[in-house]
Amino acid sequence: MTQPKGFRTASRRYKLVFWPSMGAYLAVFFAGVYLVDQETSPLALRAGFAIAVALPLFGALWALLRHVNETDEYTRMRQLQALAEGGVITTAAIFLVGLLEAFNAIADVPLFLFGAFFVAAYGLAYCRRQMGKTV
Amino acid sequence: MQNIIRILRAERGWSQQELADKLDVSRQSVNAIETGKYDPSLPLAFAIARLFGRSIEDLFDDGASVAEAAE
Repeated sequence: MTQPKGFRTASRRYKLVFWPSMGAYLAVFFAGVYLVDQETSPLALRAGFAIAVALPLFGALWALLRHVNETDEYTRMRQLQALAEGGVITTAAIFLVGLLEAFNAIADVPLFLFGAFFVAAYGLAYCRRQMGKTV
Repeated sequence: MQNIIRILRAERGWSQQELADKLDVSRQSVNAIETGKYDPSLPLAFAIARLFGRSIEDLFDDGASVAEAAE
């Protein structure tokens, strides 16, 4: 894993990977929506687009992890606290929704939504810490 | 831990952002250190001390010296 590089370098390296990844994610996602028919398209095409949509997200997550390692110590601490908080909230949500599904109380929830839920929970936790509030 | 970084910074007419740029940390880091919400690691404390031309003991006070003096 990479070594600390300071706040400016780490932020620049993060943005250099994160924003192109998000752009690629949106481009591939909408290309998939336009080109893939869930009913008639061959399995290989559907699976290929699913993986192609996921790959830029892997890039963004890798950029986040690298940023945590490379940024200054205070930012790293706040990032890790927010990631922990987001992880705990997401795990609680997975347990709750999973048990509701197990008891047939709700319909099945698409698994990938928990990824988006985690990113949102992490982002909100980070913003709350920016404002000086903790759990 | 209390410190005099805000005073030294003000003496030099630096903003928090300028000090953060000199230390290559975020402005929030400088604010957290100045307000005592975050105690820097030894390497960062040394970097701050070097920047102001002081010793770490000059900059930071953990209250022990006050307690020792009172004994």
